[in-house]
Amino acid sequence: MLRDVTFGQYYPSNSFVHKMDARVKLVLVLLYMVGIFFIVSFVGFAFITVLLLTVILVSRVPLKSVLKSIRGIIFLLFLTALLNVFFNKGDTLLWSWWKIEIYQEGLIFAAKMLLRLTYLVIGSSILTLTTTPVDLTHAVESLLKPLRIIKFPVHEFALIMSLTLSFIPSLIEETDRIIRAQKARGADFDTGGLIKRAKAFVPILIPLLVGGFRRAEELANAMNSRCYEGATKRTQMRVMKLGWRDAVATIFVLLFFATIFVVYGMQGNWGAISWLNWLYF
Amino acid sequence: MSTTDQKVASAISAQGLNFTYNAKSPFAKHALVDVNLNIEQGEFVAIVGHTGSGKTTFVQHLNALIRLQSGQLRILGRDLAVKKPDLKALRQEVGMVFQYPEYQLFADTVLEDVCFGLKNFGVGKEQREEMAREAIELVGLNFAKIKDKSPFDLSGGEKRRVALAGVLAMKPKILVMDEPTAGLDPRGKREILSLVSDINKTQGVTVIMVSHDMNEVYENANRVVVFRDGQIVHDTTPRELFRLEEEIVAMNLEVPAMAQFTNELERQGYTLPDNCKTVEEVYEAVLKLKEARHA
Repeated sequence: MLRDVTFGQYYPSNSFVHKMDARVKLVLVLLYMVGIFFIVSFVGFAFITVLLLTVILVSRVPLKSVLKSIRGIIFLLFLTALLNVFFNKGDTLLWSWWKIEIYQEGLIFAAKMLLRLTYLVIGSSILTLTTTPVDLTHAVESLLKPLRIIKFPVHEFALIMSLTLSFIPSLIEETDRIIRAQKARGADFDTGGLIKRAKAFVPILIPLLVGGFRRAEELANAMNSRCYEGATKRTQMRVMKLGWRDAVATIFVLLFFATIFVVYGMQGNWGAISWLNWLYF
Repeated sequence: MSTTDQKVASAISAQGLNFTYNAKSPFAKHALVDVNLNIEQGEFVAIVGHTGSGKTTFVQHLNALIRLQSGQLRILGRDLAVKKPDLKALRQEVGMVFQYPEYQLFADTVLEDVCFGLKNFGVGKEQREEMAREAIELVGLNFAKIKDKSPFDLSGGEKRRVALAGVLAMKPKILVMDEPTAGLDPRGKREILSLVSDINKTQGVTVIMVSHDMNEVYENANRVVVFRDGQIVHDTTPRELFRLEEEIVAMNLEVPAMAQFTNELERQGYTLPDNCKTVEEVYEAVLKLKEARHA
């Protein structure tokens, strides 16, 4: 049933990674995402695999839950890889038929692309698995604070984000209830052609939208009646503090990437990892 | 199943019903434990119990919105334990009114919304409108005035009636309602209840009502089933049940005002007939007692 759909995939635990400051985690993940685009060799990916496995181990999130995050986009991943196989030409022709040619270079490039995207998703899902949506929102708010200088409504932005997140479970519940109610009136969502099926969703979508507006209005009224006012001198219930864990993690990740780059450098492979070269690849 | 068979069949017959949410996981929750219940056609049964006692889970079985996990369940003689029960036929016979049914209104006009179920069950257009008209008038609304209005322009009470009409239009033999009066004002509550009571008495529709309001249970139902931790702990008449004042309170339920009054009279040695449950009925009975004493 629809109830099984979980949004935000937070996996509760008390691990090192869970206890880290959400801001640091967010920055490190961003760093990791940028870093992974500089990795171009399989040896590099082997290093990243070690890094990911270490972090997963330390976070005490079961590997199964982490891999679940790829399941949703597996089709996209393989499609990307497949297209890359066909559209990258090189020197070593492996197989050809009519106008389709497969080169060794194309295969290698596709494999790396697949790895890179997979690792991107895994990396970001470690963040969402170990950080509650609320903490994540606070982290975003805190990191965007400098934008206040250019009058960007940081607090309101974060508020919208957290309200959206908090609405999702109740909307799922409501959808579930509406589906059951319409089913009880004989609605049929599982048979018929495409158009018939699309039409069958109208009795769900309309009450859902109406309900959404109703909830939004109720919430707005509740906030107004409590004299809610945006970002004026607002304090936080949970103040985020940097701790020793954050320092350790930051040093670890930085050292890790530094090592990869230095190893490359010693082999005289600097060219291979320069971003210019990567773009030309 | 022939019609003659259905006439003799119980409305609902459940045997050894078990249901577990999230089975085989650490979050497993036993919502129903060995539930046995037999309800005859024409009964008005109230189902009460604390939140999470399993009453909603049970009620959703009746419409196959929750599929049977283990045990036997027959609705009007139809076996729900078979692999592919005829859901359409079942759902046409068992009308289900959810909590806050007005939240499921969706169509452009009231008429269209009331016709939704009939259309799904394959009733022809003209017959559909006729049945919708009957249902709308049954719930006490003016058909001509309301049929072309948008359901979203109606008042809360009217919306609830239209939603109810959408279920009644299908002429169900069993009407299952989950807190049909929640969120209504006292007058709206009374009107909905007398409507349901009427349908039960004049048309012989079996009514199963989940409720938290013990007063309405006491006054309307002729049988009460109490759920606790997924099990049926009481299955008796309202009068019998609410004689057990201490036990009722221990279950976090309240004793209806009229039941308290009648119980107190009984303790003082004045016994009223068991069918006196509303204020008027009790008043009449007390007057009779008084006359009998003077005579």
